[in-house]
Amino acid sequence: MKSLWGRIPLHGSGMTLTIVFIFGFVILVVTSGGTLLSHLAISSLLIYLAVPILIGMAQMVVLAVGQMNLAIGAMGGATSALMAVLMTDHGLPVWAAIIAGLACSTALGALNGVLVVLTRLNGFIVTLGTMTMLLGVQYLLVRTFTVDGYPDWLKKAGLQTVVGIPYMFLTAILTAIVVSWYFSRTIAGRRLLATGGNPLAARLSGISNDASVFQAHVISGVLVGIASLVTIASAPGINRSIGGDWLLPSFAAAIIGGVMLTGGAVAVFGTVMAACVLRLVDVARAQYSLDTSWVNFVVGVVVLFTVALSEWRQRRSTLQKMTAEVPE
Amino acid sequence: MTTVLGQTPPKNTDTPPTRRRVVGMLTDQRMALGVIVIVLFAGFGIINPMFFNGPFVVYPLLRDTATFTVVGLAQMCALSIGHMNLAVGRMAAVSAMAAGFSFERLHMGLVPGSLIGLAVGALVGAFTGWIIVKSQVNSFVVTLAMDFALLGLVSITYTTFTSAAAFTTKPPGMATLGNGSLGDYCIGNLCGAPNVPLLVFPALVSLIAVQYLYGLTRVGRELLSTGASLRVSRLSGIPSDRRIIQAHTISGLLAGLAGIMLAVASGSFSAAIGSEFMIPSFLGPVLGGTLLVGGAVSVLGTLLGTMLTLVIRQGLSVQGFGLETLNITLGFVLLVALSTQRLRTVTWRPWRRSRA
Repeated sequence: MKSLWGRIPLHGSGMTLTIVFIFGFVILVVTSGGTLLSHLAISSLLIYLAVPILIGMAQMVVLAVGQMNLAIGAMGGATSALMAVLMTDHGLPVWAAIIAGLACSTALGALNGVLVVLTRLNGFIVTLGTMTMLLGVQYLLVRTFTVDGYPDWLKKAGLQTVVGIPYMFLTAILTAIVVSWYFSRTIAGRRLLATGGNPLAARLSGISNDASVFQAHVISGVLVGIASLVTIASAPGINRSIGGDWLLPSFAAAIIGGVMLTGGAVAVFGTVMAACVLRLVDVARAQYSLDTSWVNFVVGVVVLFTVALSEWRQRRSTLQKMTAEVPE
Repeated sequence: MTTVLGQTPPKNTDTPPTRRRVVGMLTDQRMALGVIVIVLFAGFGIINPMFFNGPFVVYPLLRDTATFTVVGLAQMCALSIGHMNLAVGRMAAVSAMAAGFSFERLHMGLVPGSLIGLAVGALVGAFTGWIIVKSQVNSFVVTLAMDFALLGLVSITYTTFTSAAAFTTKPPGMATLGNGSLGDYCIGNLCGAPNVPLLVFPALVSLIAVQYLYGLTRVGRELLSTGASLRVSRLSGIPSDRRIIQAHTISGLLAGLAGIMLAVASGSFSAAIGSEFMIPSFLGPVLGGTLLVGGAVSVLGTLLGTMLTLVIRQGLSVQGFGLETLNITLGFVLLVALSTQRLRTVTWRPWRRSRA
């Protein structure tokens, strides 16, 4: 069970975040006088948790190889727009549109990967470029309209629950389990981490760094595709602002969750819990009817605090190791 | 005028010096950029003569170039030490907010109010640099988090202090600075060009000051050295921590200047100032030849790179193309231009580890 969730869950940032989440949730329940425990409140809390979890993992995967993906929001926006337009304007059946959407986001991830590998350019710049282009594509697809002409049952599917748990949330959790399995149990996943940890050592042990980087971008694309699917099933319609607010939460979830920007480590459980905590901040804002700006402010401060803390902890542990080695 | 440290140019003893210089000039990235800008400008004008229209196209084009060049310089200063400043836009917003506050609430004049705005920008930059140095955390994360925090702070301030979410008081001189041109000033019969906005002057001053800093001062060389190799700089006795804080301070100061320039041009100080700054801030310096890994900057290149993106932007919108074509073209130009730059420098790691 330990390796299934990636890095040491019992004393990693995942555990800390779980405690923070439970603590925060209890406070919110008490101050709301219990309304937060109603069926509707719980399911809305969970439905809108799916996208942050998925995009946090999409960012985490590329961070694991020491890359980053600025195009996450634009990829998601363009993919959702494509699916919506295919169903509404071209009359494609739902399953065909979903396959087309997933293929599209996977292809976009592959494009990022190919560009990074071929041009040897910084992933930051490559994805900045593709992001700019995809924002254009999304606008080209939906213009200034909100596309919502796709079947009603799809829109309702996002709100349906099984024993009180929304399908969308289950999708995200299932994906998280698969991703976690991929990184802890498969050869491809381990190779990806090896590349992120030390490219030179990875190459000397016969791992193709190019293949790892490509793979990471493709997986990121697949995860964005799932996030787009969740979006189309739970949002009232698709317009050009979809995906516009994905970039910062994707970094926030991964970084607060304990993923290092230098690569070589993933923290699936941490990322999931970080997404939960971020969602809780949003719920708190709604409950106390605060300005949206407060969420940004709090999230920014929390990210800063988390990274500073983890850096400090890491330095302290290396210091301890160094002093421990002295007597030998 | 590219200021590079840590790289020696390849010695090519076979070709005579004059020829080498000519070949060097032709293959120089900035030369190529300059030629492309001129060709594009002429091309757009030939396709549609409206593009040469002074008051409607050339004047706003130059005004935008002035603002975005300063934004590009702000990013360039962070890039010079191998860092990034993702909060350029928000630092601009904070400066503009402080200036607007001084005008509206403290009834200050144009100059003192702007100075307060600039000081606030520099302070925010210095604070960011201080966090990076003290926490040893990657500049990407710190400035990203800073962006979040400032975004919140700016919106909260505007909603608290104003009713319309903007400071609209215009101190005397602001309208002239924002909308005036050289054509308004005459010496005898000789008048300035009517299509050159007054706002190009702050940009020119910044260009010269930054070029002077990196080209001719000890601090500038030490900044580049810190960017080229933090470890070597430390070992050579350069106070790298102080240089890192200084680079971010200058970055904040310039971002603030750009924010105030935009606010002066648009006539209102609102939270939207700077929200469009982040992507262009990278386009200008990176197209102009500033390395992302640090150690090399190009001031003139930043100006030319900014001009290139804005000429494309303006040119396409005059031709009647919409936002979508604009974005697709800009992204494409960025990728193509930089892929060719691969010949110049090969970077594998996304960034140098700050604790190298």
